[in-house]
Amino acid sequence: MAAFEELVGRHRDRIYARAYSMMRNEEEAVDLSQEAWVKGWQRLRQFQGESSFGTWMTRVVINLCLDQLRKQKRQRTESIEAMSEESGGVERQMPVVTVNPTAGLERGELRQRIDRALGQLSYEHRTVLVLHEFEEMEYKEIARTMACSIGTVMSRLFYARRKLAVLLSDLKQQDSN
Amino acid sequence: MDYDSQLKLQALLDGELPEVEASKVAQWLARDPEAAALSEELRNTRAALAGFETGIQLPESREFFWSKVQRDIQRVETPATKPASMPLYALLRRFLVPASALALVVIAGVVLTRPGPSGLTPAAEIETALADSGAFTYRDYSAGATLVWLSYPADTEIADNDEMGTVE
Repeated sequence: MAAFEELVGRHRDRIYARAYSMMRNEEEAVDLSQEAWVKGWQRLRQFQGESSFGTWMTRVVINLCLDQLRKQKRQRTESIEAMSEESGGVERQMPVVTVNPTAGLERGELRQRIDRALGQLSYEHRTVLVLHEFEEMEYKEIARTMACSIGTVMSRLFYARRKLAVLLSDLKQQDSN
Repeated sequence: MDYDSQLKLQALLDGELPEVEASKVAQWLARDPEAAALSEELRNTRAALAGFETGIQLPESREFFWSKVQRDIQRVETPATKPASMPLYALLRRFLVPASALALVVIAGVVLTRPGPSGLTPAAEIETALADSGAFTYRDYSAGATLVWLSYPADTEIADNDEMGTVE
C-alpha cells in the first residue's frame, strides 16, 4: 500500500489534469480521479507494463470520464449547435484564421483562453481533441476508445480544431476592443 | 477545397497518411495558398494546446487526497459483514428446550386426566406459576417425586447469544 501511495503522489496531478480537461469541472475531476485511483488499485494485477504506469492510469481515468460524459449527455437535451456539429460540415463555412490568435500571450493568459475555448466545445469534440493532443492517441485508438468510426474521429477533430481557432480569435478581438 | 481534401490535409499534419498519399498532399499543399493557410491555422491551434495540461494541479494536498483514496480502497476491499452463524448446539438448544417442555406438558396432561385408583385423588399433578409461565412443577405422589422444568432460555444462554451477535 505504501508503494501505491507513492504512485498516487507522483501521478496525481497528471490524472487530475486529464479528468479536468475532459470534464471542465473541478469537483467532478477530483471525484473521478479519486475513483480512477481506486480502480487502478483493484486492477493493478492487469497492468502488464506495456505502457508506463502513468499512461495506464490516464486510460483508466479517460474511460471513467467518458462513461460520466455519456451519462450526462443522455440526461440533457442536445443543443441545436451540437446537432449541427454532429451532422458535420459547419466547419467548412468557417473562415480561416490567418493570424495566430495566441501569439505573444503569456503562459497563464494562454491557458486561461484555451480553458474558456475548450469549455465551449461539445464533449465529443473536446474529448477527441484531448485524446489526440494530450494523450497522443492515433485516429484508430480514439475511434476504439470513443466507439465510433475513424471518419467520425477525423471530422470531429477537424471541427474541434477549427472551432477552437475561431474561439481563440474571438477572445483575442474581445481583449483588443 | 473540398471536405475530403481538408481532412487529408489534417491527416498529413497528424502523420496519419500513408507515405504515397502524404507526398501527393504535400505537393498540393505547396502550390495551393488556401490549403497552406488552413494548414497554418491547424498548426497554430495544435501549438497553442501544447503544454496546456502541464500547469493543472490537483486542488487538494497529497495527504488529504491519499486519505480519501485509501478510505475508498478499504471500503471496496472489505467484504460486507454477515451476521455470525449460530453454532449447531445453540440451534438445537433453542428448539429442543421448548419441544421438551411441550412434550412434558402433554404427558402431564395425559397422566392427570387419567382417573386414579380411588377416582378422587390424582396420581400426579402439575402446577404452572402464572407469574412465570415458563416454569412447570410436576409432582408424582405415588412415586414421591417432584420435577421442576424451566422452559425459557436461561440468563447465561441470553448472554451467550448476545456475544455471538457481535462482530469485531
